[in-house]
Order: sequence, then structure tokens, then C-alpha cells
Amino acid sequence: MGLGSRSGDRRTAYLFILPLAAFILVFIVIPVIGTFWTSLFREVTYLESVFNFLGNYRRLFSDANFWQSMKFTLLFVAVCLPIELFLGLVFALILNEKLPARGVLRAAVLVPWAIPTIVAARTWELIYNYSYGLANYVLAALHIGSGPVNWLGTPLSAFGALVIADVWKTTPFVTIILLAGLQTIPEQIYEQARVDGTVFYQRFFKITLPILRPVIAVALIFRSIDTIRILDLIYVVTDGGPGGSTTSLSLYGYKFFNEGDFGYGSAIAVVVFVMAALLSVIYLRVGGFKGVVE
Amino acid sequence: MSERSVKRLLLALGIIFMLVFCLTPFIYMIVVSVSENPSFLSDSVDFAATFSNYRDVLTVKSLRFLDYLRNSIIIGGIVALVTGAIAALSAYAVSRIEFKGRVWVPLAVLAFSMFPQISVVGYLYKIMRAAGLINTYPALILPYIAWTVPLAFWILLSYMMQIPRDFDDAAFVDGAGRFAVFRRIIVPIAIPGIVSAMLLVFIAAFNEFLFALMLTSDHGARTIPIGIALFEGLHGEVPWGYIMAASAIATLPLVLMSLYFQKFVIQDVTRGALKG
Repeated sequence: MGLGSRSGDRRTAYLFILPLAAFILVFIVIPVIGTFWTSLFREVTYLESVFNFLGNYRRLFSDANFWQSMKFTLLFVAVCLPIELFLGLVFALILNEKLPARGVLRAAVLVPWAIPTIVAARTWELIYNYSYGLANYVLAALHIGSGPVNWLGTPLSAFGALVIADVWKTTPFVTIILLAGLQTIPEQIYEQARVDGTVFYQRFFKITLPILRPVIAVALIFRSIDTIRILDLIYVVTDGGPGGSTTSLSLYGYKFFNEGDFGYGSAIAVVVFVMAALLSVIYLRVGGFKGVVE
Repeated sequence: MSERSVKRLLLALGIIFMLVFCLTPFIYMIVVSVSENPSFLSDSVDFAATFSNYRDVLTVKSLRFLDYLRNSIIIGGIVALVTGAIAALSAYAVSRIEFKGRVWVPLAVLAFSMFPQISVVGYLYKIMRAAGLINTYPALILPYIAWTVPLAFWILLSYMMQIPRDFDDAAFVDGAGRFAVFRRIIVPIAIPGIVSAMLLVFIAAFNEFLFALMLTSDHGARTIPIGIALFEGLHGEVPWGYIMAASAIATLPLVLMSLYFQKFVIQDVTRGALKG
């Protein structure tokens, strides 16, 4: 490895890593174990907690609201990700061109990323306001549809409204990652292809896309891990409504915590954890992270 | 049409769409924040400009915005400092020292950073309640350090891997110990990386929502995101003017920072997300 080996080095290394390990252990690992443990109890504030083994999980199976939020969460990931990927790719291709004001354009794309999620969520909530929001104003100005849309009032339009807001907030992140991927492609490959008489879209499908594939995979998995646990945007824009139709799994779990039902809330949290963990395992494999310190 | 002009046309359309898409909500937020009546888009009301929303948000004590802002800045600042120091130390050890399990540290750290917040927040609440820390700064600072340290660690690890080992070796010849080398040689060289890592950590802490929602109960420790999410007007109605003014104040420093550090941020976010 070529690392200098000095006396007492190993102890020094562990000492240097100790604070990081301690914080992660106490505030991430132990709470996760605690959540698993709590999920085996009937535990509600002010009541004596009773060991319930898998009782909470049995309750999950027959809980229609739980399955509704599972359906919503998976559907939300399935709809948001392709749109984010498409737009992110378009934006990254634009920003990769040699344009005069490239710095300004890059800065503009970063704006949604830089805005705090809660701020973005409240702005979108106002945009969707029935009587004076921007969305209905634009529709009316362009003469689209018949009258104002009750965006947050029906399950379908509320779903669409959340998709648009989430895509807006997260596309910059996808753009940044894909842009970094694009910049690793040497210009000579394109020059050669140009000499061979290809058209730009052929170059895109024959060169750009195949080279970009691993980066796209990383971006997709990273975003799916993030989207599967979504809470804050939905908490503000719809609070899970109308009629619970846009309640994500995390939001559903939070609602039980908030009411003091820690046992059942923990069981829902465990489900989210397991789903995210499965995706993470794929991510760690696809990403090839082990080689970084070699 | 030639290939060149087709491509140019597509590019121009793409740029217009991109700008409209990315900037419209932001501009709308600013416009509403300086409007006298946020319902100016309806037929009956005209737009009238005013700074009273900003003035009220920054001066009316009962809105508590200044409390939230102070809490957010103090908490974010402490978290950035501590996380920066912890991440730099451990990144130094992993990039420089041979020890058992060295290869696994970055992987484990990355894995922990992917845990969903919902899977810890309930138990975290129980811990903080038992410790009597609910609605205090430590209730947020401590978990925030744990949640932001993976990102900072990865940024600094990839930064330090690129610093040649000759620098260390020269200092070792002079008889310096590990910590002295870290402090006097590595930290000064890695300062740009440390600064941008701390910046991203500050932004993450500044924006965090679920922990703050669960672990605080009033303006004593509540942060900006909670304040903005639960904003109540003086008279019961949803005070959109205030909310958007507060949002603009909370957002402006972040947008300016990330524009200023544009190159930096793009590089480091990518480094954190893709492999070193």
C-alpha cells in the first residue's frame, strides 16, 4: 500500500476515527436497533408497554391505510424518477455545450437545489392555491382546460402536483451528477464520429448514452433511496391528503409517532428501513465504492 | 435545415424551458414576498409592492421568525464546525494510516448515511426525552453531527487521497507526530475541501426537517424549516406574504452561497455521490 508504517500508528488511527464512530453509533445505529426493538411492543405514551412480538406487523398486513401509503410511495418513485432522469439528462446535455453564459445557466439550474425543501414546498403549496395560485393563473392565461383546477383537492391532481414539485426540487441534483459523467467523455471520440459522418442524435445514442450508463444507474438508485423515504415536501403541500391518498410511508409512520404510538410507528419505520436498505445494497454494489482507498 | 441549425434550435428551446422551469417558482416567491396582497393573481386584486412583509417578519416579536433564524444559525454553525473537525480527523486516518478494517470504513459510513430518518426519529425522541433534552439545542446538534458526518467524511477523504504523501514523510523526518502532521501540514492544504464540506453540512443542518419537527416544541429551539412549515399569522388566515418573506430571507444566503461556490459545490456533491 505504500503507507508509512510507524510505531503506535494503528492506535492513532482508531483514536482519530473514534469521534466519528461514536456519533454514528449513538445517534444512528442505536436508534435503529431501538426502533426494531420497539416495533415488537405495544407501546403507547402513558400506557404500560407490552411485549407484542410480531403483533404490530400482523396489524400492518390488514391495515388498508398502510397498503395505501405503500402503493402511493412506490407509485411516486416510479413516476418521479423517469421524469427526473429525462429532464436531468436534457439539462446536463445543455450545460455541457460550449455556451457563452454557461456559468449563469449552471447557477440557474442550481437554484431549486439550493432552496430549502420546506421553502420550496410552501411555494408550491401557494402555486397550487385554487383561487389565486400561479398554476391556475397560467392555465387560464393560456386557455388550457375548463376553469380552475382544484389541484390539492382530488387524489389524482394532488399526486400530479406533488410529482411536479418533487421533480422541480430534485432534477438539479440529477443534472449535476450526469454533468460530471458527461465531462469524463473525451472530445476526441465525438470528433472521430463527426468525421465518420454521424448526426448529433446518432452520436447521443451510440456514444453518450452507453458511456453514461453507470452514472445513470448511480443517480437512479441514489434518487430512489431518497424518494422512497420522502416526508417533508408532502407534509407541507398535502399533509397526505386528500383522504390520505398521498400519505407516504414515512409520513404514515410519523403520524403514529406524533400521536405517541411508538410501537406501531416503529413497525412502519422498520418497513421503510428494509426497503431503503435493499436499495442501498444495490447502490453500494453498482457504485464500486470499495476501491476508493486502494 | 442543416444539422447545425436543428441542433441550435433545439438548444435554444431547451435553454428557455430550463430557465423557466428552474426559476419561475423562485421568482414567484420573491414577487409574493413584496406584494401587499398575495392574492394579486385573482381578477379582483391588483398588485401593489411593499416591504412591509419583510419589516413585520423581522420586527414583530410574536411571529418568532428571528428566534427561529438565531436557532438555525447557531445549530448549523456548531454542527458545521464539529462535523468538519471530526470528518477531517477520520478522513486523515483512512487516507494515511494502515490499519485493520481501513477499507471498510468509507463503505460503512456511506451505508449509515443512507438510513431513512424515519427509522431513527421515534427512538431518538425517546432518548432525548429520557435525557431531558427535548426542545434544546443539543437535541438537534448531536443527531445532526451524526447525520452530516458521512457526507463531510467522503468529501474530505477524496480530497486527502489526492494530497501526495511526500508532504507527510518530510514532516516525519523532522520528528513530527501524526497529530502534528495532520494539523500543520494536511489541514492547511485541505482547507478548500474542509470549507466546502462545512458549507454543505451547514446547509444540510439548516434545512433539516423531521428531527426538528419531532424534537423541538417551541421557539426556544425550533429552526427555520419548522417555523416556515407551521407559520401562523396574527389573525388566523394563512399569511402568505409573511411566509414568502421569511422564505426569501432563509433562502437568499443559501442561494448566494451555492452560486458563489458553484464550481466547488458541483465538484464536491458529485464526489460525495459518485465514488471518489
